[in-house]
Formats: sequence, structure tokens, C-alpha cells
Amino acid sequence: MKTLIVIREQEYDWLFDMFPGVHPLLVPICNKPYIEFLIDFSIFTGSDAIRIVSNGLLGDVERYCSTGSRWGVDISYGSMQPADSLHTVIEKNRRFCQEGRVMIINGFLFIHYDKKSDYAALFASLPSGELLSCNHGSIEVTGTPATEITVNGTRPLSLTALDSVSTYYHLSTDILNNGLTYYVIPGYSSEPDCYIGRNVIIPKSAEIKKPVIIGNNVQIMANAVIDSNSVIGSNIIIDRNSIISGSIVMDNTYIGEHLEVKNKIAAGNLLVDPESGTSFVMEDPHLLTSMEQTKSAGTLFRRLVHSVTALLLIILLCLPYILMRPILGIQGKWKRKKEQYYTGQQGKTFMLTMTTIDCSAPIGALAKAISLDRFALLFRVLIGKLALIGHQPVPVNPAIKIIPSSKAGYRPAVFSYAEAEDWPEIGIDTEIVEHYYAVHGTPLKDIAMAQKALFNRTH
Amino acid sequence: MIFHLDSSTSQPVGVVILKGRIDASNSSELQKAFALWLQQTSNFIFDCKELDFIDSSGLGAIVSCLRKALEHRGDVKLAALGAKVSMIFELTKAKKLFSIFSDRSEALQSFSTVGQI
Repeated sequence: MKTLIVIREQEYDWLFDMFPGVHPLLVPICNKPYIEFLIDFSIFTGSDAIRIVSNGLLGDVERYCSTGSRWGVDISYGSMQPADSLHTVIEKNRRFCQEGRVMIINGFLFIHYDKKSDYAALFASLPSGELLSCNHGSIEVTGTPATEITVNGTRPLSLTALDSVSTYYHLSTDILNNGLTYYVIPGYSSEPDCYIGRNVIIPKSAEIKKPVIIGNNVQIMANAVIDSNSVIGSNIIIDRNSIISGSIVMDNTYIGEHLEVKNKIAAGNLLVDPESGTSFVMEDPHLLTSMEQTKSAGTLFRRLVHSVTALLLIILLCLPYILMRPILGIQGKWKRKKEQYYTGQQGKTFMLTMTTIDCSAPIGALAKAISLDRFALLFRVLIGKLALIGHQPVPVNPAIKIIPSSKAGYRPAVFSYAEAEDWPEIGIDTEIVEHYYAVHGTPLKDIAMAQKALFNRTH
Repeated sequence: MIFHLDSSTSQPVGVVILKGRIDASNSSELQKAFALWLQQTSNFIFDCKELDFIDSSGLGAIVSCLRKALEHRGDVKLAALGAKVSMIFELTKAKKLFSIFSDRSEALQSFSTVGQI
């Protein structure tokens, strides 16, 4: 089974104005990008290959979905002309469509399904032809069916055409109220109708009412109320005494103090009334704003402290480096590996050369103890590409679902907070330690932590 | 901002027509002008039909006008709030402070019915 997803730009271009900066196919529905619902459904129908075809640019979608290895399917991408009929698109993708059964999702549609149903058997046995349609698209199946199988108990499929902000809003609230168990929703759920992501800070005085979905890196301040039917995205601050009720707060949004966001969509500094379609760009950053990290005086001071400390370390380690580096090189105990890593800016990468020293001989152990393997990286601190202490640089990996960003506190560094605290340098614990210090760190604390990291590396 | 006194009701009502934007650049003008208008009457209607945008300073100025009117035993009522301006009032909970009417005549009517049985 394969899936061909055909979505025309004119079907989703209304979303570009509504949520600028996010590709419409990546606009989250209940904190999950739209395209992931289609991928999930394709997988449930037994598809092992998915092709996404559009006449619009798919760069962001390609970067996000990549080859599909994260889902264990093969995802490829294709282009089409705006006037191409579905038949023409199938013809253009003949090689993809010619073997076996193909499910064709045509249109910017949301498919209502149930993750627990056996759609693989159903789709294998369905006769060719249109299965479902609505005014904006359809699902059809091509290819010869397998011998008829009786499938019982599958949730009947239905479609919703995503054609307005009102449909989008009502779809989200509908899933929140009636369909959370039907889909794979991101976040931790210890009780029904409540999904909470990582690094979510909820003070005792705050109130959360179900059904609710909260993303990652969310700070809810004192006396704030997240009323029922709310979807809170990732990288969000809800300030003191504010009430979010029946609303969707999109990623990277700050909601100021004493506000009431009722039945609205807040996206950065944009407030949308889904019923009337009215959108309003807030000019007051203390009310509603997007969470872009600015280079404040504090940030610059921190950078200065890091640079000065790095310079001192370079001066200190210069002589040992000149003496020991050639010896270790000759012995083959100095190994270097170039790799692409994420910078703090969303989606951007840079090349770093990481050094490993074989510590079996005393000279190697000594070089490691004085962190000569990090010596070259210290120069990156001087030019501001790396912090002295912060997060372990995250290598570029298509399997990573959440690309690290400075908005979430990520600061790639020579030494990591996890090293300083002697935590194992992998896993969720490391992330928590690094996030904690990224939020609560000060320039002076950073010096102390860098010193700690230096000593802990000798263990 | 255009101000005139409407005497069609039992008590004179100051009608203020707000136009364009009220933000940090002109909110103080509204406050200064309001202090003068307050010498003529303490009941006001702010007609927001042509008001396109308001920010927190503008909102602060309008709330300050309401406070001064209340101190003079009067009131400030809002009429014909546009969708965008209405969203700001709703977001900041300022909607709860004001009597809001769909148009100016309805707001005027409400002043004439005050005190009637």
C-alpha cells in the first residue's frame, strides 16, 4: 500500500496570512502538525511509502518530514501545475502509483479516523474508486484489492475540508472534546483529556481545567487559569492572572498579565477571532507578543563574560596544546570528526570539529583532564558561535522531532551544564539539567559551572 | 476627535467621535481634552465607529476618562465598537467596565432612560 497526498496551494494559502512563518501543512492541530495526521493515517492504512505533491513550495515540509525515517515510512515529494487535474497528477506520478494499491488523498482535508481501527485490512480489501468525498476533495483507492476480508468495528471515516479559520478552530475544539483518544496526540497523559509536554512549569496557584493540551517549554505564572477546551502550544509564557479559555495559543507566544483570551487564536502578536475571521496585530509587547529572543544588554554581558573566560582558557592551554597535540597526533590518539550541528537559531546549522582523545596512555589522560579536546572550540566562543557553557551541541539528525532553538533556551556550548553536574551526558535528565541552568543561569554562575565542568571531566 | 454636546435627552451628553488610532502618540491629547469637556457635562458617549486601532495607552486614556466621569457622578458609554477594537477591550477585560452599545442613538437612548420608571 502507498499513499499519494495531493494538496494544491490555493487550498491552503489562506493560512499563510493567518499564521505567517509556518507552512500551512505544518500548522498544528492540537499541537500536532497537520501533515503528521495524514502520515499517521497513511501508516494505519498499511502504507509504507508516501508521496506529497503540491504546486506550492514544500521546502519546510521536506525539512520537517525528511525521508520519513522517523515514522518508518518512505516519504518523497513531487510538484504539479496549479491547473493539473487529479488524473494528470496520477499520470505524472505513474511510477509511484503503478504497483500495488494506492490511496489518494486529494485536497486540504482532515480525515477523522481512529488509531485503534484496523484500516490496513479495510483498505487492502476495498474495491477501487472513490471512497469518500466532500466539497473540497476526496479519498480514493486504486489498484486491485486483495481477496475480500470482512472488517468489523472500524470507526467510519469522515472528512473535514480545511477552508477557513473557523473550520480550523472548530476542528481543534472538536478533537479536544470528542476525539483525543482517536489520534496520537503529543505530550504526556496521566489522565484522560489532559496532555502535557516537557518543561512545563505550573505553579500551585495556577488552575488547569480539562480537556487541555499543553506543549513543551511552557511557563504558566501565578494565578493564571487555563480553562477547558484550550490548546497551549510550545515555548509559551502565560503571565500572572491571565485566563485562557476555549482558545488556541500557537507556539512562541507570550500572553501578558491580567488578560482574558476567550474563544480566540493567539499566534505571536496576532489575535484571531475564529468566528468572525477578524485578526488583530497587537502593538503592545506587554499584552501579546511573539517570543523572539532579543540580544538584550544581559545577553551581551553574558557573551562578554564567556568570551573573556574563553580567552583566559586559551592563554592557559596554549602551551600544553602546542606540546601535547603533535605527540598525540603521531600516536594516533587524537581523533577528529566533522559534523553538522544545530545553532540556536531555528533550523540553522553549523559545522563543528569534535575531538576525542584516547586516554589509555598517561599523556592522553592528562590532555583530556585539562580539556585539550575542547581547545579549538574555545575560539568559536570568541566569535560568538558557541557559548562557553550551555547545552551539548545537538548534531543534525532527521529523526529529531523538536529542532532545538534558542527560544527554548538552547545554547550550544564548549562545555555543557550536564558535564558540570556530572549527569550522564545523554537522555532526558541531561535536557532537564541544561534547560534549568539555561533559564536560571547568570554570567557569574556560568563561570562557576564552567569551572565545575572542567573538574568533572577528570572523573 | 470631534466633540459636541447633545441636548436631545433629559441631560446633556457629550458625544466624542474617535477616529483613526488612539495610541501613545495621541492618548494624552484625549485626556487633556476630556478634562475640558468635563466642565460642560459628566455624561459621555465615545462613538468608536471610525476608530480603527487602539493600543494599551489609548485604552488607558479611555479608562482614565471613565474614572474621571464617575468621580463627577457621570458615565462614559461606548458605541459602535469595531471588531478589532472590541477584541482589545475583551482581551484586557476592559469590556466589563463600560456600557457598550451597537450605535450612538442606542447609547443616547440609554442616557435618557436613566432615572425613569
